[in-house]
Amino acid sequence: METLYLVPVYAVYATVTLALTVFLARTLSRNGAVFLEDVFKDSPKLGDAVNRLLVVGFYLVNLGYGALIMKATGAATVVEAVEVLAWKLGALLMSLAFMHFVNLYVFYRIRRRSRIAQLPPPIAPQMQLQAQYGTSMPHAFAPNAAMPVAR
Amino acid sequence: MVPNTLTVLYDSTCALCVRCRDWLSKQEAFVPMRFIACGSAEARATYGAVPWLGEELVVVSDYGDVWAGPAAFITALWALREWREWSYRISGPELAPLAQRFINAISSNRRSISALIVPDPCEGDACRVPRAYR
Repeated sequence: METLYLVPVYAVYATVTLALTVFLARTLSRNGAVFLEDVFKDSPKLGDAVNRLLVVGFYLVNLGYGALIMKATGAATVVEAVEVLAWKLGALLMSLAFMHFVNLYVFYRIRRRSRIAQLPPPIAPQMQLQAQYGTSMPHAFAPNAAMPVAR
Repeated sequence: MVPNTLTVLYDSTCALCVRCRDWLSKQEAFVPMRFIACGSAEARATYGAVPWLGEELVVVSDYGDVWAGPAAFITALWALREWREWSYRISGPELAPLAQRFINAISSNRRSISALIVPDPCEGDACRVPRAYR
């Protein structure tokens, strides 16, 4: 295989990979911080740490994958060089997109887990005892519409 | 009001129920639960006004909210970290009737199920069966 255009292909590829990864990581950390701020209200430091760790992982995976798929077998003509480059950038973008959505999903899960802890029971109580339970008061008898108790 | 603690009034004379209590108490919970046998003197004294006591599973919150039967099962699930999502899922409009029938079936057949799964359920004091309950 002719390798005339391989060096320019590699150069462009490496530049684009680096630029894209940095750009995406920065976007991710900036916007992810908003999610994490909400989740880690009581310990903002922890939120920052989680954010930074996620970004480091993002860098590692993307740069690692980018480096792994860099090797091309040959590019004899300009057309071939463009094709090789397009293929590689496409693969890289797909991996970036995948990582990006994984990250979004992680943020979503973290946030949901913290929200679910605040939610009230799914079914309204069927009876109310007085605060100290001693004297009882079966008023407000509201069998729940979603799930009435079968007697 | 979102409960801070739950009191679970379970049937300590049924091996299945005792197993469920053990399972519940081992799960990680958002809301701590305390378990009282529904036939005990404490339960009768404190929660005697609950009409379902002894017949159905009863869950009482620290604010005095009472759930019974299927609603009590689901409220107990709601207290658990791993199962809170499921508590909403199975109390939604599609699954609620099914969940309710399932829980009622288990609950009303708890003695025969206990007999099936544990030939001799009553070791120790926790599961001593008053005649009236058999």
